[in-house]
Amino acid sequence: MIPVVYRANFSYLVRHPWQLSLSLLGISIGVAVIVAVDLANDSARKAFLLSMDAVTGEATHQVIGGPRGIEETLYTRLRVEHGIRSLAPVVEGNVTVDDVSLQVLGVDLFAEQEMRSFTRRSTVAENDDATRSLFRTMLVEPGAVMMSVATADTLGIAVGERFDISAAGRRHGALLAGLFDADSSQGLDNLVTTDIANAQAWLDAPGRLSRIDVRIADGDIAYREKLESVLPADTTLLAAAGRTRTTAEMSKAFMTNLTAMSLLALLVGLFLIYNSVSFSVLQRRRLIGILRALGMTRRQTFTLILTESAGIGLVAATAGVVAGVWLGEQLLGLVAQSINDFYFRVSVTDISISTASIGKGVAAGVGASLFAAAVPAIEAASYQPRLAMVRSVLEQHSRRLLPVVALTGAGTIVVAVCVLALSGRSLVAGLAAVFMLILGFALCVPLVVKMSTALLAPFAGLAGGVWARLAVSEIGASLSRTGVAIVALAVAVSATIGVSVMVDSFRLSVGDWLQQTLQADVYAGVRRGDMDRDLIADFARTPGVEAISTSRRAWLETRDGRTQILAIRMAPGSYAGTEVLDAEPEDVWPSFDRDDVVLVSEPYAYRNGVGPGDDVRLRTRTGDELFRVAATYQSYDLNASALLMSRATYDRHFDDDGIDSIGLYLADDADVDDVIAELESISAGRQDLLINSNVRIRELSLEIFDRTFVITDVLYWLAIGVAFIGILSAMLALQLERARDLAVLRALGMTPGQLGRMITLQTSVIGLLSGISAIPLGLVMAYVLIEVINRRAFGWQIDMAIAPGILVSAVVFAVAAALLAGLYPAWRAAQSQPALAMREE
Amino acid sequence: MSIVLQEWRKCIFKLTAVLLVACAVLAGTAAGEDPQRSELADLLGGNSDEGFKKATAPRSFTFPADHGPHPEYRNEWWYMTGNLDANDGRRFGFELTIFRFSLAPEASESISAWRTNQVYIAHFAMTDAGRGRFHVAERYSRGALGLAGAAADPFRVWIDDWEIAAAGDGSASEQWRLRASDAEFALELSLDALKPPVLNGIDGLSQKSSEPGNASYYYSITRWQAQGNVQIGGDDYTVSGLAWLDREWSSSALGADQQGWDWFALQLADGSELMFYNLRKADGSQDEHSAGTWVSPDGTARHLDRDEISIEADETWASPEGGAYPSAWTIELPGYGLSLKVAPVLDDQELFTTVRYWEGAVDVTGTRDGASVDGRGYVELTGYAK
Repeated sequence: MIPVVYRANFSYLVRHPWQLSLSLLGISIGVAVIVAVDLANDSARKAFLLSMDAVTGEATHQVIGGPRGIEETLYTRLRVEHGIRSLAPVVEGNVTVDDVSLQVLGVDLFAEQEMRSFTRRSTVAENDDATRSLFRTMLVEPGAVMMSVATADTLGIAVGERFDISAAGRRHGALLAGLFDADSSQGLDNLVTTDIANAQAWLDAPGRLSRIDVRIADGDIAYREKLESVLPADTTLLAAAGRTRTTAEMSKAFMTNLTAMSLLALLVGLFLIYNSVSFSVLQRRRLIGILRALGMTRRQTFTLILTESAGIGLVAATAGVVAGVWLGEQLLGLVAQSINDFYFRVSVTDISISTASIGKGVAAGVGASLFAAAVPAIEAASYQPRLAMVRSVLEQHSRRLLPVVALTGAGTIVVAVCVLALSGRSLVAGLAAVFMLILGFALCVPLVVKMSTALLAPFAGLAGGVWARLAVSEIGASLSRTGVAIVALAVAVSATIGVSVMVDSFRLSVGDWLQQTLQADVYAGVRRGDMDRDLIADFARTPGVEAISTSRRAWLETRDGRTQILAIRMAPGSYAGTEVLDAEPEDVWPSFDRDDVVLVSEPYAYRNGVGPGDDVRLRTRTGDELFRVAATYQSYDLNASALLMSRATYDRHFDDDGIDSIGLYLADDADVDDVIAELESISAGRQDLLINSNVRIRELSLEIFDRTFVITDVLYWLAIGVAFIGILSAMLALQLERARDLAVLRALGMTPGQLGRMITLQTSVIGLLSGISAIPLGLVMAYVLIEVINRRAFGWQIDMAIAPGILVSAVVFAVAAALLAGLYPAWRAAQSQPALAMREE
Repeated sequence: MSIVLQEWRKCIFKLTAVLLVACAVLAGTAAGEDPQRSELADLLGGNSDEGFKKATAPRSFTFPADHGPHPEYRNEWWYMTGNLDANDGRRFGFELTIFRFSLAPEASESISAWRTNQVYIAHFAMTDAGRGRFHVAERYSRGALGLAGAAADPFRVWIDDWEIAAAGDGSASEQWRLRASDAEFALELSLDALKPPVLNGIDGLSQKSSEPGNASYYYSITRWQAQGNVQIGGDDYTVSGLAWLDREWSSSALGADQQGWDWFALQLADGSELMFYNLRKADGSQDEHSAGTWVSPDGTARHLDRDEISIEADETWASPEGGAYPSAWTIELPGYGLSLKVAPVLDDQELFTTVRYWEGAVDVTGTRDGASVDGRGYVELTGYAK
């Protein structure tokens, strides 16, 4: 019995290839997006960990210091005075070669033996002169470096060739002395190793080490205690693994957001699957009725539908995984770019395919198919054999269910609100609540549609005649099919509204903040490193320049993570540039230079739960010191966890006289472009600086902002794609199913044009209803994204701003998508021969 | 293997060993990886001594200035060896050698203190006669930033926390201290020079082959009173004994057909010392440039030509790692009425440092002018490892 049943079903699916392929496509896209995001995140993370591990080598711990690292004499003291071994000094930083950003690792080859092997081994052939003298060259030749084969290829440099390296705005000669005896899978791309002397010279850090790598044998507590007992107060010993972890943490919120986006895509896909399976069941209700009449039990019916869905799910998931891997490769570049822009340098070219990611995708595809098919399966199993063959029963059935479904939806929304209110700072709970909101909303849509079509139908009749009335009321009457399509489109459109409003609000807030923060007329800075002191003095003397502010961005690292300190010397009157959120400016600024106070950025305050009056503990040159929090200030800086400190306070507590950017305040009659040209000619040949007007910086910042949300855009278009296919398949199925009704209409005298118009109107109304009903959910989503998700992920406070354009274009888009999706079904219906369609019946 | 041999043929002096050590370390070559050794000499980037000063003519030595470094020469070493007795009668031998090596005649300019052309390598070995054990440790570092280096006044040569340094009050005779330690063994000594420096070779110019400039400047302080502490085998010992300092620097000293050398530094109980280096040719015969120095109890030194001394190996010891070393000798100096038997305290005093060689404490027995005379010393054997 069963095999026959399966064959009957299978042949049905084969006879309806459109339907089958659309179902497959829908699930595939959902799975593909999940797999792609997961793989891209995972690959970026793995690549980062791999390169961190490679650079860490065998070191178990690292001695780290203040903003300028460690005084190099500490290393000598540890070795010579205290006889401590298993230490290796490192000077680390970033350089560029032909605009390719590279990490430079300056090492002492004599100390490398115990830490890293790639710094000493080269692949160049034995008889090559360059290799023979590699180690001597690395020590003696100024600028000698080693790099991976892939990096050398990228840069187009051969062994023995000289090239220029740029660091801190200055150019230095370098020589490629050898290639790592390690392939790219070892995380060594975009890395150059060089003698510590070169690294200090390039990074303008004479006398300083970035860190001292330490190798402590398992359980050698005596060694550890000895080392810790002799470390000066401004340094600390941290576990290497912990440092890697806290660095990786920085990008976690970003990746979580991406994952949330991918789940959104699956959610839309879920509706599509439900949609497809429902239709396939609905259209086969005659077949199922016959089979039931022939003796197929309810259980068998249920199993049949589920098995079929699982099969479709599996096939689609497989295709989705393949597509996901491809898509993941495309996404990876974007993800890596974003991470590079804001968090840490990550070199990743190949996607690493993990079983976990694929497993997630397959589980999501099959699971979603089963979940989506469960309702139709139960429904099909519940048919009385005789009734199953009667069409009207189904619609009656689903209409009866509508209030129950809507009530469930309302309940889900209530639960979502409760979760939001009670979940504190949990980002995951916040995301879960978003999905519950969407689900609850989705469940309410059919009832709304039914009521609105009932309301609209008479008006449609008045405006367009009987066919128009028919077209509109048909939507409500065939809710079991159209409802799903409407919900899918509505969810997709609401996602576009939610995300667009959020991004738009965010952009506006950032724009305002930039406007306020960028008080100086012109800014000059160096990409990484210190600005030349003499240059700053010369800038200050430039005609037209009235005052100068300076800033220094320094990182302080502790066991718990990294904190950024912004040490600023403000120009007279520029306090207004910092928006103090929770204190009176006149209470804050007078003591800003004098007392040991800091301002905390909003994200810092949120993440660490500190506010005015609290103390922040920082490791200064004399050890840990407490700094009082004077206020919270507004900041959308993407390296958000920052403290603002006056330069005077900073100088009292830290050994760091570096300045990485300055703001120039111009006289009222000075021409900004002229001054910039003058500054450029002063700095030419001395240090490559980024010199920009505040207007230009604002533009550049917003460009970077937009680039960050490119990913959001990509995912959003994918969600729309899924919805589009949903409408198309719903309309197609509807036309297929109603072929006989339409034929009757034709036979009754409706022209093909009228028929086409009717279907087109129908799809337009579906689009319109979707678009309109998407607005409330979209706005709620935007609100939750801004107030809950963004805040929980980044700690930012964003003012919600609703641009009417977003809402209008969302509705227009929904109508356009529905129209487009309805074109083919309309054309097909218009083409059909009434006699043929009726005879088939 | 023939390449290895060929290379070894060139590696006749300790200084060559130093070059190899330096480069092998830099290459990350593990000790005993013979195949790697063939390329070690190449790693120098050519053996060119161009730009370095050469030992071509006798010079006048001044102290303490000449205890300090001579960076204009390519290689230099401070070689301290000695035999010690603990209060409980236990017997120890020690070697602490610090090598200096210039990678280039000049260091290039840099704002970084790490930039240098100076490399330091040290070997620390102790012979624990009571337990029959031989311990070795090795250190290497750049000669910059105070990590390793040498200075004349006050005298100090060091690498990490190993050092040999002046400790005296500036009185006429040298008072030094020495310390070195590793996980398993440690040594701390104060050293009082019992004799002034003696110049080896011709007024301190020690010709190693007929090639001009193939020579080194070479002096020794052949008798030091040493006392201090030894930590070994988990125990502490208070020790005293005699030590010997060898100092040598040069820029080039390679002879095409030289295979290795046997170096003897013997301190006799009557207060005299004998130093002799026996240069061996590839065919095993003695090289004509072999020479030595005789130091009388009053500190006066006499040059010894190779025809004034005969050295016969009586036994051999096969290294478990390959190669056979001579292991006991009969030394005759007819002109001094001296007939000596030299025997190692332990057979196995082979150093498994980056380059393998044998350097160990020896006992001396024999007669001088018919009267019995004994003593102790150190012997170094290079070019035997296979």
